[in-house]
Amino acid sequence: MSASLEKGVRVLKEVIDAPIASYFSSCVHCGLCAEACLFYTETGDPKYTPIHKLEPMRRLYEQEYTVLGRLKKLIGLSKAVTDAELAEWQELVYNSCTLCGRCSVVCPVGNDIVYMVRKFREGMSASGNAPVGIKGAANRTITIGSPMGVKLPAVKAQMRHVEEDYGLPIPMDAEGAEYLVMLSSMEIMNFPEYLGAIAKIMNQAGKTWTLCSTAFEATNAGMQIGNSDLARVIVSRIVEAAEKLKVKTVISPECGHAYTALRWEGANLMGRSFGFKVRHIIEVLGEFQEQGLLKTEGFETDRLTFHDPCQLARRGGVIKQQRNLMNMVSKNFVEMPDAGFMNWCCGGGGGASAIEEGEELRMEAFKKKKSQFDAVKPDRVVTACANCRIVMEEGLEHYNMNLPVVGLTEMIADHIPNPVVAKPEGS
Amino acid sequence: MATTNDKEFRAKLETLSVSQQRQVAALFVQRVFAFSNDVRIKAALDMAMRADISDAELAVVSQAANTARVESYAQCGRDSDWNTQAGLFVAKGAVSCVRPDVEGQNLAWDAAMQVRVARTCEAASGDVTDHKEAEAQYAILDDFLNK
Amino acid sequence: MGELQFLTWVRGTGLNLAISIFLLGVLVRLLEIYSLGRKKDLAEPRSVGGASGMNTVFRRSIPPEGMLKNSPITYIGGYVFHIGLVIIIFLFAPHIKFFQDLLGFSWPGLPSQAVDFAAVLTIVALLLILFDRISKPVKRYLSTFQDWFTWALTFLPVLTGWMAVQHLLLPYTTMLALHILTVELLLVFLPFTKLFHAFTVFGSRWYNGTVNGHKGVAV
Repeated sequence: MSASLEKGVRVLKEVIDAPIASYFSSCVHCGLCAEACLFYTETGDPKYTPIHKLEPMRRLYEQEYTVLGRLKKLIGLSKAVTDAELAEWQELVYNSCTLCGRCSVVCPVGNDIVYMVRKFREGMSASGNAPVGIKGAANRTITIGSPMGVKLPAVKAQMRHVEEDYGLPIPMDAEGAEYLVMLSSMEIMNFPEYLGAIAKIMNQAGKTWTLCSTAFEATNAGMQIGNSDLARVIVSRIVEAAEKLKVKTVISPECGHAYTALRWEGANLMGRSFGFKVRHIIEVLGEFQEQGLLKTEGFETDRLTFHDPCQLARRGGVIKQQRNLMNMVSKNFVEMPDAGFMNWCCGGGGGASAIEEGEELRMEAFKKKKSQFDAVKPDRVVTACANCRIVMEEGLEHYNMNLPVVGLTEMIADHIPNPVVAKPEGS
Repeated sequence: MATTNDKEFRAKLETLSVSQQRQVAALFVQRVFAFSNDVRIKAALDMAMRADISDAELAVVSQAANTARVESYAQCGRDSDWNTQAGLFVAKGAVSCVRPDVEGQNLAWDAAMQVRVARTCEAASGDVTDHKEAEAQYAILDDFLNK
Repeated sequence: MGELQFLTWVRGTGLNLAISIFLLGVLVRLLEIYSLGRKKDLAEPRSVGGASGMNTVFRRSIPPEGMLKNSPITYIGGYVFHIGLVIIIFLFAPHIKFFQDLLGFSWPGLPSQAVDFAAVLTIVALLLILFDRISKPVKRYLSTFQDWFTWALTFLPVLTGWMAVQHLLLPYTTMLALHILTVELLLVFLPFTKLFHAFTVFGSRWYNGTVNGHKGVAV
């Protein structure tokens, strides 16, 4: 057994707990999980059946944790997990799984398959079998602070741009602010309007907020690669910043997995609960809306639909807020089939869009999302995740569909009148 | 009367005809075209400069510019290059120039904004610390109006 | 071995052996699974009514939106044979009598024609399920020897029991002995195969519901 395989197997053994043992023992090979997974439904290839993505882990569980399995191993009747097998499984565990979680919702015996895939990735990354694309992102996050190599000067450049455009100052390292706003590299690079939108909204709501120079990145490549140690490093930067600045709430940006990493896995990675709240920007906007702090003007009149990012809705529990926000600024909001917590994945989350070799498969899987659009025929699609936006734009491009995709936070901000602030001299 | 701030700038752009807006927008975007160098963007800008474009021609360049735009997104998790990233906003600016359906929109203003973001990307790459793109845009508009 | 000797053996030694292995097996399996424990979830919970482990234990029996139309045989065939088994095992007079001898108490049963009807439906459903497993690509791909074996373990007791009551094929004594033997085989293998889901389905659904309920998602 090679050193890296040994490490991988050791990690896999460690992550197996009672739930995983219960799940493996309950699976009756009914195949319903496949019907919930867009990688199977759009390709028809049974190897993408979710529970099958865990086969090496299942065998390991049997061999290490069951009396019968250990007996079989003793008399040489069991098949050990090998390097080659884990290498073969890389495609199944990363390229064809976005950690969307639909499988976990349909399994009749209650198996939480996405939970198991997340744990399996721990072993895969420890044994060196994580895809190159995500490995790079993870390294850059540790060494530079962002998976895409975005450094503080870049953030400051964006801040200056917003300050010039709106006349609103962007606070940085402001101690005692109520909200610490996190960004994602994807937004900083591709959707810089997000920062301006935040500034406008916070200004209108009258809330104090700040960025942090040592922790502006929320994207958690450690989560995607499945390496808890890496995920912890990234989360701890944010936790330190939040505690140093004594904020009440940390706002996770429109990046689905960043939210999951910080909100749901963060405390468990750190081994302690947080002294501050963690909220997704959509949750915060929802709260502001409820409290009457959002005073929007005007309505979008074209036909709009909403794509629920998996990590926000099904995996994060934020389902109603986006709908209330849509109705606040849209006269013609229609739901696609399966909207809400059973919505279908865009096909690019969980690190999948960083895997070049997986692009063809993603395009195939996108047919599912396309079918939802075809059913509802919107003029534009609204969503709340920077990665979903780009993945969907690419998919729509691929299928020659002329359908713009926009972000919800920016759309709300568009309906907030620009602040009337005198431009300082000489700017 | 020279333009000195964004309020005036935007208002003046609003008064232009669609064809004029396309032309002035193309002038804005041309200043940052070097970040993209994509032939489809060039085609869009060249088309926008003409006063006599047909709907069919517009549709073709618009489609091509949009494809260029989608292709220039930075992919999640890939290493960033701010100068390349500026290309995304050049593409967005070009898309504004040749957008077919412009009822009630100020496409020249949109293009101008995208150009400024492209300059911000340049600043982010550390090559340039500050930019005076807004002032340059005011000057271009004033020249255009005085022609 | 004569018919009567065979019957006596399965009713006596065979049954004792089978029940012992079954009980020991269930205990060992439950222990080896649930003693692994799980870490406490330290994330701030979100409390939403209807989103909990207990809720999922029951709610998961209902097919999620769109799935029934997608896989009708899996759901309908599954329901019919599970419910059929419960009716046959627990509401058939001779079985109730057996339980009474074993446990010391009894309960009312159903008329034997009703049980007979349930048995026929169960047999048909099981055959349908088998056919589905052979013909559906995903099921076929996932299936191992264990899937066919456990199917037979489940099917044979129902078939032999029904045949015994109908006095089909073999003399009653032999058929009955065969029936009891197949039940014993089912008992012996249940804890060590996927049939153990009969016990772990509750834990699995509960864990799933709890993890999601923590986030306020009712699954």
